[in-house]
Amino acid sequence: MTLAGELESLLPAGTSLVFGQLRLCRRDDGSFEACHLDDAEKRESLEPIPSAPALRELAKFDAAGEYRPLKTAPTLRGGWITRCDEAAEFLRRLDAIYPGVFATWIAYAAGRHHPTSLRRTLDRQTGMYRRAGTITDGMARRLIRELCHIGCLRTITWPIHDDDPVARATASPGTLPMICTEACTLAVNAARTLAKEARAAGD
Amino acid sequence: MKILSQTPPPSGEGSTSDRLRDCALLILGHGSTENPDSSQPSWDHAETIAKSGRFGSVHCAFWKEEPSFRQIWPMIEEREIYVVPNFISEGYFTRQVLPRELELTGHTTSRDGRTVHYCDPVGVHPAMTGLLIKRAKEILDSSVRPEDTSLIIVGHGTDLNTHSTEAITAQVEAIRASGEPFARVLDAYMEEPPYIADWRTLTDSPHVVVVPFFISDALHSYQDIPVLLGIETEPTAAASQREVFRRNPYRFGERTLFYSSAIGTDPSLAEVIVDQVRYFDEHYRS
Ligand code: SF4
Repeated sequence: MTLAGELESLLPAGTSLVFGQLRLCRRDDGSFEACHLDDAEKRESLEPIPSAPALRELAKFDAAGEYRPLKTAPTLRGGWITRCDEAAEFLRRLDAIYPGVFATWIAYAAGRHHPTSLRRTLDRQTGMYRRAGTITDGMARRLIRELCHIGCLRTITWPIHDDDPVARATASPGTLPMICTEACTLAVNAARTLAKEARAAGD
Repeated sequence: MKILSQTPPPSGEGSTSDRLRDCALLILGHGSTENPDSSQPSWDHAETIAKSGRFGSVHCAFWKEEPSFRQIWPMIEEREIYVVPNFISEGYFTRQVLPRELELTGHTTSRDGRTVHYCDPVGVHPAMTGLLIKRAKEILDSSVRPEDTSLIIVGHGTDLNTHSTEAITAQVEAIRASGEPFARVLDAYMEEPPYIADWRTLTDSPHVVVVPFFISDALHSYQDIPVLLGIETEPTAAASQREVFRRNPYRFGERTLFYSSAIGTDPSLAEVIVDQVRYFDEHYRS
């Protein structure tokens, strides 16, 4: 099935889903709607955003105007709504807010996309990140606590080491999961910073 | 002015364009965790190309933004994919980082039922020379003659990628060879000689036009270079950066300076990206 087809079947007419900070709705006429979770009760008074590029621009900054380098940070601003008739266009708009998150879930759930351990990600780095892999497991856990758990809505599906056991993510009713299948650039950068600090402390 | 090659389309052009409609185009950019403008040119060019309907779908992926190179494959449904790096030169990124992160093994990689074609980066396309000339002439006042104007192509210098310096010197040579009547054409860099900060002594013409050979108007061309040129006293905030380009020309005594936005923001880059796909088919496709 296509990704748009998957979205249509997960969101039948007359239903809704929570996706990160979004409420996704399929109206009785089959059309799609998305707005911020906090705005779900005031849909008629929200500013309509009619395109993926406009949503991408919106998702670039938080309510205070700060740049959002991590799109799954819990800082999506509200006050807007987007509506369209076609699932493919709706998916483009969701991807503008949460790039690739839906596709990652579908591929993971179907067993076509597998998590990469943190060690594997860090160990293949070169250039300015070449020493990121020197962090200890304790530092890795700190990174997960301080960056991922506080600053990101995704559920981690990767282990620290290749053979560490890791629970498989599942969808709870009424939600579309947001999973992380590999440490992102911010995590790699945080590992580099921790490695640098450890070296400086050791000198 | 037509920027791209004037060569007639190869025979079988019709069937090529039909075939491309079943393929995806993936544009790769650097992106930034600090600057909101870094990825914008890639998105803009992707939007232009998507509207033309030439490919089944058009995607972007980034080193420092989302979707990342590692997240992109599940998003693409076509079985044949052309990947075009929106990078200014061949080097560390195009030869090491991008192939590694995308798991590409050569010009064409077949894996998991997909065929992925890895094209040359946009910055090495021969049309870039014409674009630099076009950009320089566009921002000059109509009363300013190119004969009274020096053109400086500015780059970063001393980064991981020595090829970026070579790319700029090659462009400077090509512009000189083109017969364009600029008083002088020269290269300059932020962090190695000849320094862009010395533009007043590097040139002696009444007018100078500076075009950054960068992909986006991120930190360097919005913030750092204007300070080096002396047209800003300190790096400006992101939101107001566009002003830098609206206040041309800048007057320094008897001389005037014109400062362009990065070459990668030129809308013609969308055509260059598509042309890298055509070039791939003609030269690398087996
Ligand atoms: S590594 Fe994954 S979970 Fe952690 S911040 Fe990055 S995207 Fe979020």
